[in-house]
Amino acid sequence: MTEPTFLMLTALAGGPKHGYAVIEDVARMTEGRVRLRAGTLYAALDRLRTEGLIEVDREEVVQSRLRRYYRLTGAGEQSLAAESARLRAQAAMAEGRLRARRTEFGGATA
Amino acid sequence: MTSPEVRYRRLLALYPREFRREYEDEMLGVLMADSPGPAQVFDLVRSALAAHLSRPFAPGRDWRRAAWVVQVFGSMLMLAMALRVVAIEVTASTLPYGNRFDLDTVETLRVVGWSVALASALFGPRLIGHAGAVVGLVGEIGAPARYYLDTPAMVLYSYWLIVGAAVVLAAGLGAKRGTWPPRGSVPVAAAGVVLVLHGFVLFGNVLWPIRAALPWVAVALAGLGVWRLRPAVRRRVVAWAVPVVVTVPVVRVGFGGFIEYNGFHPESLRLLGAVQVAALVLVPVATFFVVAELNRRLEASRAVSRTGVADK
Repeated sequence: MTEPTFLMLTALAGGPKHGYAVIEDVARMTEGRVRLRAGTLYAALDRLRTEGLIEVDREEVVQSRLRRYYRLTGAGEQSLAAESARLRAQAAMAEGRLRARRTEFGGATA
Repeated sequence: MTSPEVRYRRLLALYPREFRREYEDEMLGVLMADSPGPAQVFDLVRSALAAHLSRPFAPGRDWRRAAWVVQVFGSMLMLAMALRVVAIEVTASTLPYGNRFDLDTVETLRVVGWSVALASALFGPRLIGHAGAVVGLVGEIGAPARYYLDTPAMVLYSYWLIVGAAVVLAAGLGAKRGTWPPRGSVPVAAAGVVLVLHGFVLFGNVLWPIRAALPWVAVALAGLGVWRLRPAVRRRVVAWAVPVVVTVPVVRVGFGGFIEYNGFHPESLRLLGAVQVAALVLVPVATFFVVAELNRRLEASRAVSRTGVADK
């Protein structure tokens, strides 16, 4: 799972959101490091819908323009949980090795 | 309409029509709310191009399920064609003037490869199935290639089998296994039995008068198997099958003169040229994309008529 996909699913795990709200939430979660563009966002939304990880929650019209809210499906929740567990395990492994490295070098930092 | 909106609409026109129908309004809203700039434009152009490239494959559930059906049915029929050669060898060896039964390496590869591909398509694991299909494809290419320098037309006669093997391998790579057995398996398996039976019927056999009809019976049974599939899957299976079917008119119309010349000039060293080989490869590939695109448009127009959404 790519980072933008992971972040989008994470954004939708907080509740149904429309496209621009997903962009804003991802930017907020990453403190501005990741700013999704419309092209990337909708390519990913289309793919995630096809894979059944997200679905349309509701639609509304704002200033004569369609606004569609997306929500996480059960499969999306499972997929996000699996990816979170994988990242957590990898982070724990990295932290463990860094701890061992610091002990080995007597607390000296490179 | 504001100027940025006009600019964005022009950029969104780069997307496939189906994608625009689904997302254009939403994307416009996001683009108008977001900050403009070259990065935004570049992202739209790149994503539009990617959308065009990914559309024919449409990696939806129906495509992946159809790919599995193609993998299963295709492996069945390819195995039947390989066993048909075994049947011919066995029957010929029983005749008073026949040769001793001897199955060479290439024919053995075909039988083993397609047996493994079929077993793996049904029960897994996938990687072994791909390896089996690769072995089968090598066998299908190797069978006529042995005679290529003496009789180049042999490759043309067997070309549909080579394309069929490539299609089964390609379908297997994108297949998603469904509930076993897939709908329509019984008629397709019966088609395979008929093809093997065809190999046992040599001159003097009681079935000899109807031997010529047996391949058509197999085609009819395979067609019945495909017909019994769910319409969305059936249309995609047909798209996969078209590259194989199209080789028949391509070889007959495009290479009839070559085959005839080869028949009357066995001493000739005239082989297939680079352009001819390119045509043999590209025409089946192109027909797959054309039929996949037609299928996509058909389904898109049906979806529009169902939902009553007007095309923009």
